[in-house]
Amino acid sequence: MSSVITTTGLTKRYGRRTALSDCTLHVPAGHVVGLVGPNGAGKSTLLQLTCGLLTPTAGTIEVLGETPHTGSPRIGFVAQDTPVYGNLTIAEHLRFGAHLNPGWDQALAEGRIAELGLDPAQRAGKLSGGQRAQLALTLAIAKRPELLLLDEPVAALDPLARREFLQGLMAYAAEHGTSVVMSSHLVADLERVCDHLIVLVNSRVRVDGDVEELLGTHHRLTGPRRDPSTLGPGRHVVQASHTDVQSTLVVRSTAPVDDPTWASDRLDLEDLVLAYMTEAGAHGRDRVLEKR
Amino acid sequence: MIWLTWRQFRIQAWVAVVFAAVVAAALAATGPALYDLYRSSGFADCTADCGEIARNFTAQATDALNTTLYVVGTGALLLLPGLVGIFWGAPMVAREVETGTHRLVWNQTVSRRRWLVVKLVTVGLATVVVAVTISAVVTWWTVPLDEAGPGRMYPAVFSARGVVPIGYAAVGFVAGVVIGMVVRRAIPAMAVTLLAVALVQAVVPFVVREHLVTPVSATAAFDPSKIEQLGIHPDNRIDVTQGPPVRGAWVLSNTMAGPDGKEYHGPSDPVKCGRAGGPQECEQWLAGQNLRQEVTYIPPDKFWALQWREFGLLAVIAVLLSVFSLWWIQRRVA
Repeated sequence: MSSVITTTGLTKRYGRRTALSDCTLHVPAGHVVGLVGPNGAGKSTLLQLTCGLLTPTAGTIEVLGETPHTGSPRIGFVAQDTPVYGNLTIAEHLRFGAHLNPGWDQALAEGRIAELGLDPAQRAGKLSGGQRAQLALTLAIAKRPELLLLDEPVAALDPLARREFLQGLMAYAAEHGTSVVMSSHLVADLERVCDHLIVLVNSRVRVDGDVEELLGTHHRLTGPRRDPSTLGPGRHVVQASHTDVQSTLVVRSTAPVDDPTWASDRLDLEDLVLAYMTEAGAHGRDRVLEKR
Repeated sequence: MIWLTWRQFRIQAWVAVVFAAVVAAALAATGPALYDLYRSSGFADCTADCGEIARNFTAQATDALNTTLYVVGTGALLLLPGLVGIFWGAPMVAREVETGTHRLVWNQTVSRRRWLVVKLVTVGLATVVVAVTISAVVTWWTVPLDEAGPGRMYPAVFSARGVVPIGYAAVGFVAGVVIGMVVRRAIPAMAVTLLAVALVQAVVPFVVREHLVTPVSATAAFDPSKIEQLGIHPDNRIDVTQGPPVRGAWVLSNTMAGPDGKEYHGPSDPVKCGRAGGPQECEQWLAGQNLRQEVTYIPPDKFWALQWREFGLLAVIAVLLSVFSLWWIQRRVA
């Protein structure tokens, strides 16, 4: 399967602060990829490195087979807080989109605006958060990119606008086969729409993979208290918590766990992500859970 | 890209067009009457000993309207670099970064450099057009009054005549863009731009300008009829200066040397130059002291040579700042 994003040891530092550390990833083409992590984990940094707004401090990144640069017709980017020009109307946004993008699909853009029931003569500064996000998404997809990047597009939206936005996005991605990478600090946003997941905590990638596969290989084990290291080979303990008599482990294992002393449960996606975030927090370098 | 630049810039552009048109129209309407007076007073054709005619012409020409127009025209050109720097230059990149829209526009199919080049060229051209229009009209209109007054070589006047206002405006604009890009916030960038432009407008005329052409150094025997200032202190120290040999020159230094070749400060004869003697007696006594005027100046016939050199210097600064901004936007702004 071809990759849309390949990174090797990708690192970005701002002065002394490390925003993204030693990130090695392969993001397969044709997927809707969720990039999840708490605020400040490095999601925006990774996405801005991907679209070429930032350049890496160390390591390499290849997007669609080339070094990313802004102004590429092949990448669409919806930045955090979905910025638009407040004093330009919707129609003027479409006009400048048409001027600045050779591959611009005016019919698609106008169709989307009409479908959303927006008045093209309305100034973008007077739109609601949801409408503004829809306008930013329209601009990004009407340039017909091969890869669409969205940085926390629904963070500021109410639940209804959130659902409408994600439905619109899904419909477009399914119809055109566009690869999508979307970040959020809430797993619930991504759960319904993503088939691939990257968990980024504290500037490091904790886990990434196909959602089905991740759900199939992670288990929550509950049993009498014991040392997690005695669990045997091929089983990676993601998170361990103990009471006096009982241990609860989140384990990644390709083989089913059939030890009868353990009660084994499946995890849902939110539990899985939380386990990785908790583990990153327990290792001390930041306090992910308090931030949430 | 040009359409977007125009769409974002059109209100400022109209403000500038209206401003330039009002200044130009006011000067164009009053200029012919001023030139009529210039000729009818005999000052236009005067070649020698014009002091009296100049004073008469100035007295007649400087009514309230003309005085206002002179100040407004000169002031407009002196303020133009700061204004374009603050309102056109500084917010250009800083406002985009502040509102996050740089992430929108740079992810269209247009490189950051091309985006900036189009903006610099479009708004830079507008700056030049406004400066050329106002400066052309002001330079034409002020000729008679400048000739009758301290002259257009006078530093503040020189900066508001000819081609140098175009250079200052261009530097003001590009400096604003660069400062906005580095500071990344519009309001602080505007404040820094104001300071930077004021600094350039002070340093270039008072530090750099005199080195752009070779000044003339001259020595002349003391002539009491050309005394410009005469001051006598209670301790008999005396300060005397003589007017420059050429009318309308920019005087860089002007001293009176005594017989020993050093700067002359007396002591004066308390009888001739004290309370008892009149000014004429003192002047006659000074004439007998073997004094020499030592003066360094830039004569008014170097006006255009100096104008073009200073303009060239400012143009080079504007180009260097533009090149820097194109380098910086690729590397540092995101």
